[in-house]
Amino acid sequence: MKFYNSILCFAFCFCSLIISAQEKFTLSGNISEQESNETLIGVNIIITEFETGTITNEYGFYSITLPEGIYNIQISYLGFSTLEQSIQLNENKTLNFQLTESTESLDEVVIKTDVEKLNIKNPQMSVNALSINTIKQMPVVLGEVDVIKSITLLPGVTNAGENSSGFNVRGGAVDQNLILLDEATIFNSSHLFGLFSVFNPDAIKDIKLYKGGIPAKYGGRVSSVLDIYQKEGNSNTFKMNGGIGLISSRLLVEGPIKQDNGAFLFGGRSSYAHLFLPLFDIDNVAYFYDLNTKLSYRLNDRNNIYLSGYFGRDVFEIGDTFENTYGNTVLNFRWNHLFSGKLFSNLSLIYSDYDYDLKLNFVEFDWTSGIRNFNLKYDFKYYINDKLKLEFGLNSIYYKFNPGDIKPTTESSGINPFKLIDKYAFENAVYLDAEHKISNKLSVYYGLRFSSFLRLGQDELNIYDNDNPIVFNEDLQIYQKAEPIGTESISRSNVIKDFFNIEPRISLAYQLNETSSIKASYNRMSQYLHLLSNTSSPTPLDVWAPSGKYIKPQLLDQVALGYFKNINNIYALEVEGFYKTIKNRIDYVDGADLIANNAIEQVILNGEARAYGFEFLLRKNEGNFQGWVAYTLSKSEQQTAGRTPTETGINYGQWYNTAYDKTHDLSVTGNYKLNDRWSFSTNFLLQTGQPTTYPNAQYEYNGISIPSFELRNANRLPLYHRLDISANYTPKPKKDRRWKNNWVFGIYNVYNRKNAASITFRENRTTGNNEAIRLTIFGIVPAVSYNFKF
Amino acid sequence: MKKIIYLLLIFLCFSCEDQIDVDLNEAAPRLVIDASINWVKGTAGNEQSIKLSLSAPYFNTSVPPANNAVVEITDSSNNTFVFIEDNNTGMYQNSTFIPIIDETYTLNIVYNGDAYKATETLKSVSSIEYVEQINDGGFSGEEMELKVYYTDPEDEENYYFFEFISDVTAIPSLEVYEDRFTNGNQVFGFYTEEDLEAGDEVVIRNNGVSKQFYEFMFVLLQQNSEDGGGPFETQPATVRGNCINITNPDNFPFGYFRLSETDEFVYTIE
Repeated sequence: MKFYNSILCFAFCFCSLIISAQEKFTLSGNISEQESNETLIGVNIIITEFETGTITNEYGFYSITLPEGIYNIQISYLGFSTLEQSIQLNENKTLNFQLTESTESLDEVVIKTDVEKLNIKNPQMSVNALSINTIKQMPVVLGEVDVIKSITLLPGVTNAGENSSGFNVRGGAVDQNLILLDEATIFNSSHLFGLFSVFNPDAIKDIKLYKGGIPAKYGGRVSSVLDIYQKEGNSNTFKMNGGIGLISSRLLVEGPIKQDNGAFLFGGRSSYAHLFLPLFDIDNVAYFYDLNTKLSYRLNDRNNIYLSGYFGRDVFEIGDTFENTYGNTVLNFRWNHLFSGKLFSNLSLIYSDYDYDLKLNFVEFDWTSGIRNFNLKYDFKYYINDKLKLEFGLNSIYYKFNPGDIKPTTESSGINPFKLIDKYAFENAVYLDAEHKISNKLSVYYGLRFSSFLRLGQDELNIYDNDNPIVFNEDLQIYQKAEPIGTESISRSNVIKDFFNIEPRISLAYQLNETSSIKASYNRMSQYLHLLSNTSSPTPLDVWAPSGKYIKPQLLDQVALGYFKNINNIYALEVEGFYKTIKNRIDYVDGADLIANNAIEQVILNGEARAYGFEFLLRKNEGNFQGWVAYTLSKSEQQTAGRTPTETGINYGQWYNTAYDKTHDLSVTGNYKLNDRWSFSTNFLLQTGQPTTYPNAQYEYNGISIPSFELRNANRLPLYHRLDISANYTPKPKKDRRWKNNWVFGIYNVYNRKNAASITFRENRTTGNNEAIRLTIFGIVPAVSYNFKF
Repeated sequence: MKKIIYLLLIFLCFSCEDQIDVDLNEAAPRLVIDASINWVKGTAGNEQSIKLSLSAPYFNTSVPPANNAVVEITDSSNNTFVFIEDNNTGMYQNSTFIPIIDETYTLNIVYNGDAYKATETLKSVSSIEYVEQINDGGFSGEEMELKVYYTDPEDEENYYFFEFISDVTAIPSLEVYEDRFTNGNQVFGFYTEEDLEAGDEVVIRNNGVSKQFYEFMFVLLQQNSEDGGGPFETQPATVRGNCINITNPDNFPFGYFRLSETDEFVYTIE
């Protein structure tokens, strides 16, 4: 009921605004790149008279409503020549614009736009957008351009080490990031256990990371949203580009289906190191590949349709003993419909699937697990006037979880077939978000998301005495599994447990003067899925579990405050502070075994997490030298207290550092364009060592030495730092030839710092003495790659 | 599972491992109870010993014995078996022990003024049927691999604790198994070792153990795991066995009081 009242309240608020708007006309259209017709996201459309403007949405669409008059409009986008045009607005108009990439002449006079001013006025904070060009220029390990690794150079973003999967935003866990590829959820963003990410850089158009002030449009994960859009394909001419690297090679073809109206894109990437292994008589195999496909078609001025797909796989084989494959599959149909110049809509129908398969031939079994979902999204954006925009929509997701299925691989196998019980759930949400310019100085985003989660019936749900699946043994001071007193099977059309949450979001910007503003935001978010993982970094084998009778949804509250300044239109300074708390973060009792566990509730407790910090970002986006300095000072910790005063909780109920808590995190990245042929890039990283746990004693039991550890994550690995450099060489293009190419030479970890990925303690099998072992993933790694385009 | 992922990492990456010096904190010593009663099939099982020691700083090359303790085991018929220390070695011995399958025993220890106690049941075990030797086994395909076959009884939950002891390594190789996925089948204990050669002897012991011991040892082996660590390692834990300190519960002991029927098999590598 409370929710409907809020909706009503909103409605009144808007009605009054809508009524006051009169004698105004709407200018709308699409903005694309001239060469390829590829629509551009986030292009600034500025009405210079009003110092106001708008930006294109994820589909290149813009709309602005103004009183009758003649206006000078300026259209600008980083890396593209600015367009300026005078427009007489005396009726509703549709105007499409095409931008050309700015000629790379060095002494070109760049038209200084008011782009930064727009950013300063925009209430959206805690967002980092990276263009794929910027990402491609960064030096990377083995020359593999990596979206996920690049965003860890931003303030507030880190990971649990060089070989860890995923990324951590503002002290949040890896499973708390919503990763969207063309609106579809990606459940595992890593190839080769975290060494590379699943996104083919050639197929990607735009990435945007929301760390806070997250719009009501997004939900389902509490830490961040990484919103990635793939290219639509060139509807002008047939193009091909690709690259050859040490680890993988890429090829992308795109071209028109129907001139200017329809395009296809087909991109493939595969690692190929394994092809050479047989030469060295190694029958181990490890490789990955992914395919990105997209068809886009403009039916008419008001309707566009898109069909896109992603398919990625990792394959490992060790001799005949071990075979492992896993990956994501995504299929996605979208329909953009323009109800009017003011009302844009997008309908998405998405199927996505993550599956995992492991064959261990020496123990003769085959293990499969996965998560599958059907997702419907219907999103609207209503450009009411230059002061008010509304976004609203709905989202329904049906999940099927397969936590594990074990089958013997041979007749003689000692393994009995075993199926962990499938689980089902239905997640729904409706949202309303308003972008409201209250005065020239004050702009606000406010919104509400109403989400619900229905855990559907399943077979053999355990029942426990007092609904308590985990008991505390006071004598031994440990948690033990409770024996189920029975099981119940519930039809899938019934709801076992439901959850409803109202998630308010608000962010506001107050402009202090022409060049600076302060922004503040608050958001509440809920997350109904949990990745079961008690390792420092998730593994591909980890399974997702839905909330239900014994697992509660995670609830986040985050506040952030920031100061934004534009210095001479050359530098942009962003300083933010944040504080967040997460309720119902599940934690695992000591020694919990999560693999093939049908009753996960017996080994987990509900805890809480909190993180706070300060982020500093100074970037230079113009000129021959571009780059940024990012520094984060933060703390990320979690706690699981005992449920009663006699229980110890986990880690004696004390707060402990998360595995990705890095007090200081500095990254400097720069790119210098020397001339048309040569450019140079560098990264420097300096981070507090990751938390880890060291032993403080040993004892002998049954002939082996056992380490006795301190409290969780009470120690830290040594300081992490490294310097990477790369040089990019573009040979002089031959006249009349479409073929363009470039070479990238890079050195990762230039001074060969032996950064510890982990320090482990073991008893040497030969000497029987205890020793500490440091694992270093990458020492100095040179790389070369070759890219081409025609 | 962790081993596998870890091996992959090593195999895939440009990673390297080296031994380094780390400054560690030192915790106060605790009593360590290594009370393992093994009734080897075909023996009377009357001669048993219990080892008491103290925990020590991690890098010390030896741990001190716990001397002058009073050690007794009592069964449900109130038979008490007193264990007497052998010359300040921390080894406490008894030669009158009466092992009975499924009998519940209580261990009482008084050491340094604190009283310690534990209760456990003696578990039976299936016999080792035969050993299969594979010379090109293991993950690398170059290790000596032994599969030790036994048949799991169908009508009960069983837990197994395997010990593989050979002279080529300084420490034994230990494994625990449950029958959750293999109930009623002929299954095997699994051992690989690179350095084994023809003529080497491997002492194989299969001990029947309780579920509680299985869970204890499962976590304990994770802590000790030679190829542990890395991002996929589980959180280190304080592993509590079944022994408690009655006098001063916070000063809890390490170790476990286990009673097993044991099948021992000495295998000579061919």
